[in-house]
Order: sequence, then C-alpha cells, then structure tokens
Amino acid sequence: MHLSLTHLQATLLFAFFTSIVMGVIGRNTDKERIRYGVSVFGYFIVVIFGLGWLMYLGHG
Amino acid sequence: MPQKKQAMPPVQQWATPVVLGWLLPGAGHFYLKRWNHGILLLFAITSMFAFGLLMRGRMFEPETGDLFTTVVHCGGYIADLATGALYFLASWLGYHQEYLATSVADYGTKFLVCAGLLNILAVIDAYEIAVGEKH
Repeated sequence: MHLSLTHLQATLLFAFFTSIVMGVIGRNTDKERIRYGVSVFGYFIVVIFGLGWLMYLGHG
Repeated sequence: MPQKKQAMPPVQQWATPVVLGWLLPGAGHFYLKRWNHGILLLFAITSMFAFGLLMRGRMFEPETGDLFTTVVHCGGYIADLATGALYFLASWLGYHQEYLATSVADYGTKFLVCAGLLNILAVIDAYEIAVGEKH
C-alpha cells in the first residue's frame, strides 16, 4: 500500500502536522497555543501559495 | 557585564521524561501528566511518520564521503533515529525503502526526517517542563 499525493496535498499535510506540534510547544496558555498553531498554519498556506505563484510566474 | 552560568538541573529530574519522549512521541508529556499535549504530539508526529512511510519515503543510513554527503546522510540518520520506537519498529518490520526517484517518495523522506525533528522539539519541551522552565 502506498499513497500518491499531489505537491499541494503533501505540503498541506506537512503544514497541518507541523502546526499542531508548533502550537503545542510554542506558547504557555491553551488560548495562546491555539492562536499560535492556527497562525503557523496560516503562514504555511501563504508561503505555499506565494512560492507556487512565484515559481509559476518565474517560469514564464 | 558577563552573565553567571546557570547550573545544570539534576539528571534524575529530567532524564525519564526526555528518554520516554524520545522513545515514543508525546510519552514525556504523558509522564508529566500533560495528557492533552501528549495526545496531540503523539497524533501529529506518528501520523507524519506513517504518511512518510506510506509515501515510500527512504530512511537514511549514516554515510560519509564529501561534506554534503556526510551532512545529509548523517543528519538524516540522526533525525530518523529521533523518532525512537517508530524508527526501530519500521526498520524491524522491513520498511526501509530503496531510493525511488519520484516526488512523492521525496516528500515521504522529508516527512520521516521532519517527524524526527519535531520529536526533538517535543523532547526539549518535556525537558523544560520537567525542570520548571516552562509551565
């Protein structure tokens, strides 16, 4: 059995799991942790789509 | 003004959560009675490792040669080892993959390495809680 994911699916999955860990260890209160985890996920999304468009436009 | 160097906390204070956290992601937090954090860490790190295997990611062997080869292979091996029991179990069950030149397998290799790196962060967090640097 093996998975065949697209680049987008793989990076979103990576962002999701990494954001959970960063949220858990990153702050001191639960409210701050949730906010931080969601922010990290949001930054990932911005960078994923930003770099995606940059590569698309850079390719001409 | 030079700062005074802090004394290292006694080993018995942090050794158990650190070793447990290395052996099983989140176990250090379970030991420290941080149940919710432990469950989230176990879920996230184990899932990342499992997805890495399902994508046919490759686990590194320590290889030396030129600087780049040494850094990549030894660094990757250390990161893979950092997943503790997951690595040993996957190796024992024969999940060591041959190198596959596909983008999905390449992502899988990164997932396996990053699962180990995230577990190192989780172990450091368990250490900080155990010695009272974090609440």
